Amino acid sequence: MLDILGNLVTGVPMTLFLTFGALLVGVILGIPICMARRSHHPVLSNLAAAVIVAIRSIPPLVWLFLIYFGLGSGILRLSPLVAALGGLGLITAVNMAEIYRGSLAAIHAGQWEASQALGLPRWSRLVEIIGPQVARISLPAVATYAIGLLKDTAVASIIGVPELAFKGTYLSQQTFKGLEIFAAVGFLYIAMSLPIAWVSRLVDARIRQRVAQ
Amino acid sequence: MNETSATDIRPLVLVEGLRKSFGSHEVLKGIDLSVQRGEIVAIIGPSGSGKSTLLRCVNQLETHTAGTVTVAGVTIGPDSASHDRELQKLRRNVGMVFQSFNLFPHLNVLRNVSIAQQRVLGRSQAEADERSMQLLTRVGLADKAKQYPARCSGGQQQRIAIARALALDPQIMLFDEPTSALDPELGLEVLAVMRELAEGGMTMIVVTHEMHFAEDVSNRVLIMADGEIIEQGPSREVMQKPQTERARQFLSAVRDR
Amino acid sequence: MSEILGLWLEWLPRLLGGLWLGCKVAGLSLILGIPLGLVLALTVQAKSTVLRAATLVVVEIGRGTPALVLLQLAYFGLPSAGLTLSAMAASVLALAVCAAAYTSEIIRGGLEAVAAGQKEAADALGMSRLDKLRFIVLPQGLAVALPPLLGFSITILQGTSLCFAITLPELISQAYAIGASTFRYLPALVLASLLYAAICIPASMLVGVLERRLGAHHRA
Ligand SMILES: Nc1ncnc2c1ncn2[C@@H]1O[C@H](COP(=O)(O)OP(=O)(O)O)[C@@H](O)[C@H]1O
Ligand SMILES: [Mg+2]
Repeated sequence: MLDILGNLVTGVPMTLFLTFGALLVGVILGIPICMARRSHHPVLSNLAAAVIVAIRSIPPLVWLFLIYFGLGSGILRLSPLVAALGGLGLITAVNMAEIYRGSLAAIHAGQWEASQALGLPRWSRLVEIIGPQVARISLPAVATYAIGLLKDTAVASIIGVPELAFKGTYLSQQTFKGLEIFAAVGFLYIAMSLPIAWVSRLVDARIRQRVAQ
Repeated sequence: MNETSATDIRPLVLVEGLRKSFGSHEVLKGIDLSVQRGEIVAIIGPSGSGKSTLLRCVNQLETHTAGTVTVAGVTIGPDSASHDRELQKLRRNVGMVFQSFNLFPHLNVLRNVSIAQQRVLGRSQAEADERSMQLLTRVGLADKAKQYPARCSGGQQQRIAIARALALDPQIMLFDEPTSALDPELGLEVLAVMRELAEGGMTMIVVTHEMHFAEDVSNRVLIMADGEIIEQGPSREVMQKPQTERARQFLSAVRDR
Repeated sequence: MSEILGLWLEWLPRLLGGLWLGCKVAGLSLILGIPLGLVLALTVQAKSTVLRAATLVVVEIGRGTPALVLLQLAYFGLPSAGLTLSAMAASVLALAVCAAAYTSEIIRGGLEAVAAGQKEAADALGMSRLDKLRFIVLPQGLAVALPPLLGFSITILQGTSLCFAITLPELISQAYAIGASTFRYLPALVLASLLYAAICIPASMLVGVLERRLGAHHRA
């Protein structure tokens, strides 16, 4: 059992890289999508809404296939890792946009007015007053999403990214000890999600404290 | 069956040495109370004095920490030592009306009144519905039978809640501020139903802020403060000539309002 | 363009067959998983500490393990314990476990949303525990849980795409096979995506409508 675990653990860094890579892509790309969604321009906001719905309604694995096999057959050849990062990042981005939108709605209207009254320019209002608050309110939802994303990265194994689930599949084909191996893979995913939950609670408490002071 | 016959001279409700704590906070500090058949007892007192908790201990929605509660011959000791059976036996004799009505929003008015008759008393649906219609007629709401509670006014909902409790033919009715959530004119229609019940001989314990009801309708008034009964006696006497300073203060405070 | 439309028309029956298989797997997993989720939602509130702890472990394993790994465990793992399942059976089993774990949390949330006064009213009427659950708490709690349960059903339907990994000939397997034999991966996968969207978009809109309805009902 120990040698199985030792073997599987070599896939963990890639799983974490995929998770945080896609999260980073999504956290950043989510900002313009959210702004487009909230834009007063009806074409832009409807377009953003349609994109959000469309991306969510297609399963992650299908996105990976579309990018890796679909684009890959003659249009744009990407490595499995880049295809996976792109697909998972895209899905994460629209979900982040929706999380931000919820947080913006939760910010008291007075904050907007106050920052306007201070005469701050629109851009610095966004960056200095609203941005940090959105980040703060979004954090728990983002952490929950990150744990879900960690599990979703397993689909990358199907297009050949050598992460944890991939190692599991490979090892089970080599040894025919499928039960132990996939149980160990499941255990490792659970074990990885615990620290994420723990760190997010810690950070959340820290910020709460600082806000309270 | 003997112990619940109409000629029984033992009290219908007997509360002895009742104590209740939430954690380290003692909310009832040794309450003794006995209620005879046909008696109407009003409980008044400042908010937070433990009136609701006392009422909820009588039908064991709240378990108590020390003492005993006896209703119609069923005695319950402290801290849920008793089984579900015993509790159901006790509750079968006790009807309760809540401040917030607590009608079942997913059932129509008729089902609200019938459901416990069928499930608790084992009546057939036809029997239960017939009894429900009688009671709804009595509270003036027969025409609402097929409506859902959300379509009824607060006063109507509370009258339905009274019908629902009466449907189990309880020996005693408990009311926890039944009109506090209502506009005054809607409260009046509820009070009218309660008055009628009282005239019909129903035994009642009523927690209320309606001083007129306490004085005119009830036979006895209890004043509670800080988890204790600070004064009790015949309604007129307590309301007009309170003996203790705290009772005087409380009564003058509520009258000023 | 017309060339692609022609191809799509040619492929459509095969892809629809795959979609239908996915729907069947999703439906069966939900039929098994939701009642099991209901049981877990109840045992997690049980008085017995052992039962509560056991429930928590089952739910955390079911939710913490990727659905793909559950599928592989059922299909590639169970044979080494002497239980060989068809791809269909393994898919239903794994997704049912996943569904049970997730829906138990959804249903628990619904049951907890039932006002305390409702339970007290049932108690005050002398209703038994079981009757209180059956006639008062469950109908109201499940009504609250209905929109998220439907939302989760969409997720499970999407999750059937993962059964590709255990050779179930569902929609994506069919699209992939077409791509592999014709080298027209992109149009095949796009058509598959459109089919998913054609089901999932209206379904999510329905969930939204239900949510608003229910919200209005509760405010009343
Ligand atoms: N479930 C509970 N948990 C903790 N404290 C409670 C609970 N219910 C009531 N209390 C406390 O008990 C005291 C008496 O409450 P209650 O019986 O509701 O008073 P009243 O009905 O006279 O206003 C209050 O201090 C209240 O805060
Ligand atoms: Mg009270």
